[in-house]
Amino acid sequence: MFNTFIQSFKLRNCYKVNSIIYSIKQIPLIKRILPDSLYKSLILKIIGNIISIIWEISSIFLGKLIYIAAMIFGMMGLYTTNSSGTFLTIFTFLTIAGSLMNTYMFNPTKDKYYAMFIMRMDAKKYTISNYIYAILKVIVGFMPFTLIFGLIANINIGICILMPFFVASCKIIFSTYALNEFERKKVYINENKPVRFIWIIVGICLLLGYGLPYVGVTLSEIVFLVISILTIVVGIFCIKYILKFNKYREMYKSILTEDNMNAKKTAEKQVKDNILNQIDINEKISSNKKRFKYFNDLFIKRHSKILLKSAKKTAVISLFIIIGVIFVTLLNDTFKTKINELLMNSLPFFVFVMYIINRGQVVTQAMFMNCDHSMLTYSFYKTPKSILLLFKERIKSIVGINLLPAIVIGLGLPIILYVTGGTDNIYNYLILFVSIICMSIFFSVHHLILYYLLQPYNINSETKSSTYQIANFITYMACFYIYQAKMPTIYFGIGTIIFAVLYVIISLFIAYRLAPKTFRIRV
Amino acid sequence: MKLIVENLEKKFGKKEVLKGINFTFEKGKIYGLLGRNGAGKTTFFNCLNEDIDIDNGNLLIEDDTNNKRKLEVVDIGYVVSTPTVPEFLTGREFLKFFLEINEKKIDNIKTIDEYFDFMKIDKEDRDKLLKDYSHGMKNKMQMLVNIIAKPNILLLDEPLTSLDVVVAEEMKQMLKEIKKDHIIIFSTHIMDLALSLCDDIVILNNGILEQIDRNNLDDIEMKNKIISALKEEENV
Repeated sequence: MFNTFIQSFKLRNCYKVNSIIYSIKQIPLIKRILPDSLYKSLILKIIGNIISIIWEISSIFLGKLIYIAAMIFGMMGLYTTNSSGTFLTIFTFLTIAGSLMNTYMFNPTKDKYYAMFIMRMDAKKYTISNYIYAILKVIVGFMPFTLIFGLIANINIGICILMPFFVASCKIIFSTYALNEFERKKVYINENKPVRFIWIIVGICLLLGYGLPYVGVTLSEIVFLVISILTIVVGIFCIKYILKFNKYREMYKSILTEDNMNAKKTAEKQVKDNILNQIDINEKISSNKKRFKYFNDLFIKRHSKILLKSAKKTAVISLFIIIGVIFVTLLNDTFKTKINELLMNSLPFFVFVMYIINRGQVVTQAMFMNCDHSMLTYSFYKTPKSILLLFKERIKSIVGINLLPAIVIGLGLPIILYVTGGTDNIYNYLILFVSIICMSIFFSVHHLILYYLLQPYNINSETKSSTYQIANFITYMACFYIYQAKMPTIYFGIGTIIFAVLYVIISLFIAYRLAPKTFRIRV
Repeated sequence: MKLIVENLEKKFGKKEVLKGINFTFEKGKIYGLLGRNGAGKTTFFNCLNEDIDIDNGNLLIEDDTNNKRKLEVVDIGYVVSTPTVPEFLTGREFLKFFLEINEKKIDNIKTIDEYFDFMKIDKEDRDKLLKDYSHGMKNKMQMLVNIIAKPNILLLDEPLTSLDVVVAEEMKQMLKEIKKDHIIIFSTHIMDLALSLCDDIVILNNGILEQIDRNNLDDIEMKNKIISALKEEENV
C-alpha cells in the first residue's frame, strides 16, 4: 500500500512539474528562448519540484487559512451572539456542506485516470492510500487554524483540537454514503457536478450556519462536543467500509470519463451544440431569392430563434416598459421630473442598453459555427466578390433586424420626454430618435465588421486569436464606462450621431478593402 | 493544362516546412501524395488553396497553349478529411445555391436530382438539413460540390479513410471517371489505396516533393521503394 502511494505521488509530481514547465513555456517572451528539450533539463526539474512542493504545502494550509479566516472568523463581526457559539455554529454547518462538495474521492481528476487506467495501478490500493493522505492533509491543515482562531474566539482548547477530526469524519461519512450508493444502485457522485439534493443540503447548511446566529441561536461547546464525538465514532466505523469496499476500479471507470475530466472542453462543445440547435428545422421555411440573397435569407430564417423572434421579443418588452413608464409618470410627479431629467441628461445610459439588446455578437458566432466554418473551405465562397456580396446581404439583415427594437425605443423616448413635461429645445425629440437609431446601426455594423476583419476561429471552431476577444472586451468596457456619464442629451446625441455615421462609413470602407484577405479560416 | 509549383517555401517560426518545392502536375492524372506525419502535406494544400500565405515561390497554371498565369482560388476544389457542409441548409438547398453561384462556369448544367443520382444520395435524404446527414453523406455532398464546378485542380485530403467500403469504392470509381478533366492530388497514409488509385506517387519529405517512378515494379517492390525513400530522407 505504501509503495503504491509513493509511486502515485511520484507520478502526480512528475505530471505537476511538467505542467509547471509547460506554463513557464507559455509566457510570450520566454517561450522563444526555451527549447522543447526543456522537459529533460535537470535544473528546471529541480525548480519545478521546488514549486511543486511549495504548492503541495500551501494546498495543505493556505486554503484552510483563507477558509477559516474569511468565511468563519471574518463573519463573526456581523453577529451579536457570543463569539465561541457563532464560530462553532458556522463551522459545523459549513463543514457538513463542505463534506459534500469537497470529497477528494469523487473529484474526477486526471492524475487518478493516469494512475489507475493508463499506468494500471491497483485501484483499491491507489484510492485508499491517497484517500488516507487526503484526510491526513485535512487534519494537519486545519489544526493550526482551528487552534489559533478558535482560541481567539474563546473556544476551549480541547474542542479546538477536536475540530479537524470532526471535519475529517464528516468527509469520511459522506464518502461512505456515496460508495454505498454506488454499490447498491450503481449511481456515482461527481463532486464537480453536484446533483440537486446535494445543492439543497448545501443551501440549507449555509442558511443554518449563517442564519441561526443571526436569530440568536448558536451551538454551545457542549452541544458541539456531543455532535463531534458522535460523528467521529460513526466516522471510525465508516473507515472499515471504505477499506473493505472492492469496486473502486469499476466506480472510477464511471467517474473518470472524458466529459467529467475536461470540464472546459465540454463547456466549449456545449456552446457549439447549443448554437447548432438554434437551427430551426421547420420544413416550411423556404426562399424565393437567388444566389447569396437566397443563402442569407435561409440563414436568417433558420436562425430566427436568435434573430427575428428574439428582436421581436425585445421590441415587445421595450414597448411594455415604455407604456409602464408613461403610466407611472402620469400618477407620480416626482417620478415624472426624475424621468424628464434622465432623458435630458443621461442618453449615455442608452448606449449600454442598445449594446445589450444588439444581437450582433450572437449572430456572428452562429454565422461561423453553423455556416462559415464549412463554407470557407469552398473556393467559390472565398473569392473577394462572394465575400463582399454576402457581407452586404448580412449587413442589411442584421441592421434591419436590430432596428426593430431600436425603432420602438427611439420613438418611445421622445414620447416619454413629451409626457414628462417636454423640453424647451424641440431638437431634443429628434435627436433622441436619431441617436438611438444610430446606436443600433453602429452596434450591428461594429459586430459584423469585427467578425469579418478578425475572424478568430480555426476549422474546429477553436479560438486561435485573442484580438477578436480583446476587441469585444474593449467594446463592452467602453459601453460600460459611457453608461455612467452624464451630459446634456443634445450634445451627447449629436456627438453620437456624428460618431456613428463616420464609424460606419469608414469601417465599411475598410472592410470592403480588407475583408477578402482577412475573412479566412485560421490555420 | 499543368500546375507548376516553383520554389515554394513556407516556414512556421524557425521551422522550415516546405523548402523550395519544384514540381509540375499534369491534367488527367491522379497524384498520390505520401508523406510521414507532420511532413507538411496539409501545409502544402493550404498554400495551394491560399489558406496561408507563402513565404516564397510561384504557383502557376499553364494552359494547353502554353500560356502561363497565376494560380487562383477558383482553380481549386479542396475536399478536407472532415466533411464540412453548411449545417443550416438542406442538401437540395445547398446544391441549388451552389449551382446558381456557379452557373456560368458549369457547362451543360444538370438538374439537382440528376446530381444527387450521380452521387447516389437517396431521395428521402435530399430535403433533410445537412446537420442531420451522416458522416459519409456529408462527405459525398462535399465531394459533389467540389466536382460539379469542375475546378482545374482537386485537392483531396484523406477523403476516403472514414467512409464505409461501399461509399469508398463508389468514390474511387467516380474519381477515375472524372480524372481526365482535372489535376487530382490525393493525400493519404494508406499505401494500397495510393497504389491502386493513383497514376503517380509523389512523396513529400524533408520539405521537398519527389516523384517515385514505378519502372514496371510490382506493388510490393514499389511499396518497399517508397518506404526506403521515406526513411532515407529522414537520415539526411
